[in-house]
Amino acid sequence: MSERETVIELKNVDYTYQAGSPFAAAALHDVNIRVRRGTLVGIAGGTGSGKSTLLQLVNGLLLPTGGSVSVLDHVLTPGMKKPRLNSLRRRVGLSFQFPEQHLFEDTVEKDLMFGPLNFGMPREEAQNRAAEALRAMRLDEALLKRHPLTLSGGQMRKAAIASVLAAGPEIVMLDEPTATLDSAARRELISLLERLCREEGRTILMVTHRVEELLHAADEWIVMHEGRAVFQGGPDELAGRAGELGGWGVAVPEQLRCWREWTSRLPQLSSLPMPRTAEEMAGAIERAVRGAGGSGGGPEREENLCATN
Amino acid sequence: MVRESAAAAELKGIRFAYEKDEVVLQGVDLRVENGEWIAIVGASGCGKSTLVRLLNALLRPQGGTVEVFGEELAESNAPLVRSRIGMVFQNPDNQFIGETVEEDIAFGLEGLCLERAEMERRIRVYARKLNVEPLLRRHPSELSGGQKQRCAIASCLAMEPEIVVFDEATSMQDENSRREMLNIMADMQARGGYTIFSVTHDADEMLAADRIVALKDGTVRADRSPGDFFADEELLRDCGIEMPFRLRLERELGRRGLIEAEAGRPASGSGSVSAEQTGDAGEKNTHAEKADEGGGRHV
Repeated sequence: MSERETVIELKNVDYTYQAGSPFAAAALHDVNIRVRRGTLVGIAGGTGSGKSTLLQLVNGLLLPTGGSVSVLDHVLTPGMKKPRLNSLRRRVGLSFQFPEQHLFEDTVEKDLMFGPLNFGMPREEAQNRAAEALRAMRLDEALLKRHPLTLSGGQMRKAAIASVLAAGPEIVMLDEPTATLDSAARRELISLLERLCREEGRTILMVTHRVEELLHAADEWIVMHEGRAVFQGGPDELAGRAGELGGWGVAVPEQLRCWREWTSRLPQLSSLPMPRTAEEMAGAIERAVRGAGGSGGGPEREENLCATN
Repeated sequence: MVRESAAAAELKGIRFAYEKDEVVLQGVDLRVENGEWIAIVGASGCGKSTLVRLLNALLRPQGGTVEVFGEELAESNAPLVRSRIGMVFQNPDNQFIGETVEEDIAFGLEGLCLERAEMERRIRVYARKLNVEPLLRRHPSELSGGQKQRCAIASCLAMEPEIVVFDEATSMQDENSRREMLNIMADMQARGGYTIFSVTHDADEMLAADRIVALKDGTVRADRSPGDFFADEELLRDCGIEMPFRLRLERELGRRGLIEAEAGRPASGSGSVSAEQTGDAGEKNTHAEKADEGGGRHV
């Protein structure tokens, strides 16, 4: 199978806010990243690590101050003449960190129709898209007529994401979309992103500070730290570098922390890949405990295990 | 842990609707003792933020009563009651008004008509407690998310409230800032004696509270200790809350007879599998020991 085409490529990208002024602040240094079509990419990193800047470069809101950013058939370089980005913006949707930044109309429906209409869709289709996006985010259609600022924090967040999905972008980027959602809604959102990626072939980039919620759903991870992409690789590779996550300002996912504790206690576990669910992990621990002492050694091992707690 | 006969806050038979046919809260009863930490949880749109806004009369219920330290909220006493309740919001940018952190803290204090010397004292004391002294002359836009949130808490505490409401105050923070915030909240309760309401989706924050109040369909679906709350899988499902991985693993290991910890309950101390975990929930004493020993009220 041939490798899927690259849809995003950053080569030696630098970005400095207010470059050339006394207030210049470097946000990205020498970032090299490649993303293939139809992959789900998680982006982690502490506050101020450059995650949001990265997303804004990919949809052309910002132009790099060094290097080049290639997205689909656009190439963005420093100092280039302000490019026509309408087609890029239609194909690359970005859901901002704060949902209020998406919602400016007086009804949710108008907000959701704004993108589709702006990109030239007929009114009826825009309306259908709005309703469909709302359903995808599992929001009640009754909310379409509400003023966006009367929604709760979580509903507002979902409406903002729906406004991005309504325009049907090929590349969907979300900046901490789960921050204010409850855990059931977080899980639903991640299933939706997986569906968009696996079934519809969209490319998804999601910034999160909760690595655990996306650890295995993501095909690939990028970790940003002090403006540099310090890691790009698969979930298992990321799990293998758990010891470095703290230094990068990223929380070690709880399942990884548990697994490390148990592998240090039961070294025979360390050759196994990390189980994905608590049930599987408990099963692996049980096999290690009961297997280790031979047929008659089970109960004693259990007692020892308890004693070490 | 009742220190006064009157509760810090008591809501009785609350009914609230933003619009006539959209009832958000219906028949809500809740009593919170002085010095308690209550986590308010539930799915998006269940009325969590509405509930805490009733406490300081930012919103008025259509039915029922709200009492704060034994006084029923009314038009006449709302300003006085508000001065006893501080709020910290999700997005600290929405709270900044001043050009510098110092001005921002001062702005709140001006409203209290304090003497200049007292204002300066409070700015100094609370900036030190929240470790934001070096940031006093900085513009809020120069601060990281965690720094902004600490400044927002300093502004709030400088008003010397007795109740502090955190409305998803940790949700936008990265991991280090989130843990730092949890430590601050734990210290505030343990050493400062504040009554805390925290609206949250964060399991660690829920586990750190004394009680978890879950809202569903406009009413209190459950009001329990974190241990009992997280042991009830049906309740968790019903409230859209996922059991933290560590507790799920403990429960599974308990079922298999591999650990002693009571299945599904957040083990504390020796029964826990969380040997490596740091800065975690349920470690209030540890947090408290880190508290500032300086004069005045603790954070």
